[in-house]
Amino acid sequence: MDKLLIPRGLQRTTFEKFLLWIIPWLALLAVGAYAIYLCLAEGLFHTNMDNRFAFGIWIFLDLTVIALGAGAFFTGFLLYILRRKELKAVINSAVVIGLICYSGAVLVLMVDVGQPLRAWFTFWHPNTHSMLTEVTFCLTCYLIVLLIEYVPIVLKNRQLRQIPKFLVFEFELHKLMPVFAGIGTFLSFFHQGSLGGLFGVLRGRPFAFREELGIWPSTFFLFVISAAAAGPSFVMLTTTLVEKITRKRLVKDEVYRFLGKVSGCMLIIYVLLKSIDTLIWINSTSPGNGFPAFEFYATQSFGTWILFTEIVVLGLIPALVLLSSRLRQNKRYLFGAGFLVCSGIMLNRFVMTIQTLALPTLPFDNFLTYAPSWEEVAAFAFVIAYGVILYSLTFRYSVIFPQERELGQTNGELSMREFAQSRSVFKQPKFVTRLIDTFSSTK
Amino acid sequence: MVPWVYEFHWTAFHVTFLLIFFTVFVTVAATIIIALRRTQQDEQQHRMESIQWHSDFEDLAPAMKVCRHELNGDVQHRVCDNEFDCRSCTLHPVFSARKKKGSLLQYEVYGFSMPPYRLYHRGHTWVQQEDDGTFKVGIDDFGSRIIGRPHSIELPPIGSHLSVNGRGILVRRSDSTIRLLSPIDGEVIGHGNSEKGWYLKVRADNPERATTHLLKAEEVPNWILREMERLQFSFATSGVGATLADGGELVPDFHKHFPKADWDSVLGQMFLEA
Repeated sequence: MDKLLIPRGLQRTTFEKFLLWIIPWLALLAVGAYAIYLCLAEGLFHTNMDNRFAFGIWIFLDLTVIALGAGAFFTGFLLYILRRKELKAVINSAVVIGLICYSGAVLVLMVDVGQPLRAWFTFWHPNTHSMLTEVTFCLTCYLIVLLIEYVPIVLKNRQLRQIPKFLVFEFELHKLMPVFAGIGTFLSFFHQGSLGGLFGVLRGRPFAFREELGIWPSTFFLFVISAAAAGPSFVMLTTTLVEKITRKRLVKDEVYRFLGKVSGCMLIIYVLLKSIDTLIWINSTSPGNGFPAFEFYATQSFGTWILFTEIVVLGLIPALVLLSSRLRQNKRYLFGAGFLVCSGIMLNRFVMTIQTLALPTLPFDNFLTYAPSWEEVAAFAFVIAYGVILYSLTFRYSVIFPQERELGQTNGELSMREFAQSRSVFKQPKFVTRLIDTFSSTK
Repeated sequence: MVPWVYEFHWTAFHVTFLLIFFTVFVTVAATIIIALRRTQQDEQQHRMESIQWHSDFEDLAPAMKVCRHELNGDVQHRVCDNEFDCRSCTLHPVFSARKKKGSLLQYEVYGFSMPPYRLYHRGHTWVQQEDDGTFKVGIDDFGSRIIGRPHSIELPPIGSHLSVNGRGILVRRSDSTIRLLSPIDGEVIGHGNSEKGWYLKVRADNPERATTHLLKAEEVPNWILREMERLQFSFATSGVGATLADGGELVPDFHKHFPKADWDSVLGQMFLEA
């Protein structure tokens, strides 16, 4: 039965090995589910957040996965709107990753809010003065779009495509993908931006507050651009991780290099704008609010090293590596730089949530410390386990990487000399041997 | 926020926000409805089979989509973008007009019986025109040897309509079920069997254009050579390892030599089914 569900021509591990891979993740999922149950049934006192430290590990990691999941919208935008056909090789993977990231983030938000049954309130009675309203609307709509984009991937399953109606619906839906890609780009622009804008409008938090550009603070644009930079790098890293785990080549090297180049281009723009923004904040915005900027870095463990690491080590350096066509040829540099980009985004989101809330803003304030409870960690582990399971199932039973068959043939291609040594099945006309000699020498 | 809810105010911000939100919502909903509507239309217009083939063709590796004129040496490299239907190809007539006449026609091509009076489909079926203008359809020798001994062969019922690259013959083996592509458009008017050497008799929709897309005898040797190469590669991916020799003739009892091969995968690749 399992074999009949696996796409024809794709090599997958045995069902027993697959189960062995899935079981630990299921165990983690169960632990996470229990933690979520505790938070929802008994209350948020299970977390270490309080009224002062209201954004903890959940919001920090939510912002991170939403930024990393941006590969879905940005890859879709490049493929369907700008017609970069080479990205067809990774679009399915980007969509699955995007779906996991966004659905996981929404799930954790539901736990964080603590009243999932009243989630609809945010649509019916929205606070029109809150950036989070825009985020909620766009996030929900985009999750629906991602689910729609995921449908054709599922319908590519070998058994489902035997049902003519499903196959035709998948075909027709696929033709309309540019519409979804356009909507996805529009929605992502706004919710990625508004997540950044959310911090930029915090007048009471001068560490995060930024001047407005038009109607939005500068963090709005920085979040959009940084997400567009991190998304392709994360797609690149997850793809190579899947390659390592499955020991298969799944996409051609030029696709990786193109993703790296896109990521590098967006990152250098981000680093430039972030540097300008930081300089304006240091010299104008922060002193204007009565706080010399370097006071924020004199407290406890958050020194200027964190700013340097974010902009130079995890920003400028990977950007320069990814922009160099010579360095992109080397996979160690390429994936190393991709890893730095994703780490940089993670650090940025950490700074915006945890550091912002930890720093004192009033004369009688103290530096706040926060460490997540096991329930908070386990609830997020639930998302990771759910993501791994969903990705594994999709990879096993659908075609995520269209180049896999072709590259599988190249991998498995035996040298013509080896063929010549084995003569059990073919007799050998001399003409064919000569022809194959020619073929071998041209390889 | 919504007009009949108490927080709503007739301000530019509220109206703009709602307009944008509902535009997005309506666009998503309309796109889904359009996809469903088109699915229904495709079903009514019997386009299911061509879509099935389109989907299968799209999933083929580029090396499997090479143009027949690349195989013939008319062009250095060309991937077919007409899904192996040369009737809609603008370049096919140009290449065909350049064809040299007088090639030596062979009955046997690398050990396979490929009579020159038949026309061959890339999915390993053949077509032979009868005196009465009808066409016989069968499985070529290469395809037959790969299939081996099937458990059953399911033929489309008499009176049913075939379309080029749609489902023709369904072959069931213990380890796989494979559909063979129809090489011709037309109505099924008779059934044959393996003893007769053919499986279907078809009355073509348009006899003049019925066979334009099929390979002629002089194209067969190069095509078969490429198919042997494809077969080698398909075995390489099915976990068999270094087993095939350097070309030559395919022995008739082919299956016995590869009991552990992933035949489902090999057959899928050779008969162009994803």
